[in-house]
Amino acid sequence: MEDKETKKVMPFIEGEIIDLGPINLEHVNLYTKWGNDPDVRRYARNTFPWNLEEVKKWFEQQKESGKRDVTFEIWHKKDKKPIGTAGFDSINWLDRNANIFTSIGEPEYWGQGIGPEAAKLLVDYGFEELNFHKIHACINAPNKRSLRTAEKVGLKFEATLKEQVYIEGEYVDEVKLAIFKKDWFNSQKNLRK
Amino acid sequence: MGQEEKSEENPETEEIEPFPFIKGKNIDLCVRNSKLLKQYVRWKNHPRVRKYARNVVPRTLEDQKQRFESKVEEFKDHISLDIWHKKDKKAIGNLGLGHIDWINGWANAFLFIGEPEYWNKNIATEATELLIEYAFNELNLNKLQGGAAVENIGSWTVAEKMGFKLEGIRKHTMYIDGKYVDVKTHSLLKEDWLKRKNSM
Repeated sequence: MEDKETKKVMPFIEGEIIDLGPINLEHVNLYTKWGNDPDVRRYARNTFPWNLEEVKKWFEQQKESGKRDVTFEIWHKKDKKPIGTAGFDSINWLDRNANIFTSIGEPEYWGQGIGPEAAKLLVDYGFEELNFHKIHACINAPNKRSLRTAEKVGLKFEATLKEQVYIEGEYVDEVKLAIFKKDWFNSQKNLRK
Repeated sequence: MGQEEKSEENPETEEIEPFPFIKGKNIDLCVRNSKLLKQYVRWKNHPRVRKYARNVVPRTLEDQKQRFESKVEEFKDHISLDIWHKKDKKAIGNLGLGHIDWINGWANAFLFIGEPEYWNKNIATEATELLIEYAFNELNLNKLQGGAAVENIGSWTVAEKMGFKLEGIRKHTMYIDGKYVDVKTHSLLKEDWLKRKNSM
């Protein structure tokens, strides 16, 4: 029993409540469920339905697209199951910046500090390993939960794109936030004091 | 319209319109041109040019055509440019960056002048400077590395002139003309390059 579990789990970045690991073709059913779930996809900008085959195709493309994005699975350590995805996309290696995203696919895990933990692990990884200069996020204004997460992790407001997206019958603003390596580095120094 | 006869000695250098990517004084660095394939192959096979470039197997036009068609990627890990002589209006060599490691912030710099009559004219110096500026100022890299056989004096003296520092000597790393030859590895850090520019 233990062997089957440990074989499945391949943490790439270890956290407290969660680990971040590679995406797993065996979980494609879950990815499809999450991608289509109305509550999960509302602010994630999935406005079109995705069937299992389309998700599988996306999975195949991930192998080639490694250069512009990095996607992880969020693994819940205690409950031993994948609960969402997170990572970077729109990576610009020359400008050294990327967009961070986190998506907890199982709503019963919202509000437990998992979003902030995943985001923080990613921010550390982005600056410490991928050598980014800036990490930015793009959050819809009504998505208060994600805005709080971004704030907790140290992202600061940069700009508002007015009426940028159309969600559930109305145009809403998009909020751009960002964190810079030097600010992150300084806050790490303060933590260690 | 003037009478423009194709040169009989160099049938491959018909009137080519170069597309400069980086402009210099005596030379420009231009994108490679499929019309010059024959010339590229000639450089690759030329006994004096290929000696230190380690082309030990003859190249055909077909080989070169294949290599020309690289995949379209957003972040290339290899960039190649022609050295274009402005006054003589011809491509005389090739340079660029190989093994670009974006995360670790460095790349290998390479350069050769394919027409020996242009050796020892400070062209490599000018070309290297343009390449360095491109790597640090535009590509946001942190370090350039270059390697040259110890006896390939023409190559590493240019590197040292531009501020590259010797990192080490790799013993018996090349086999040239029947014997093993050591290779000097030089590197240039962006911060040192900037210091150098500011002090000049």
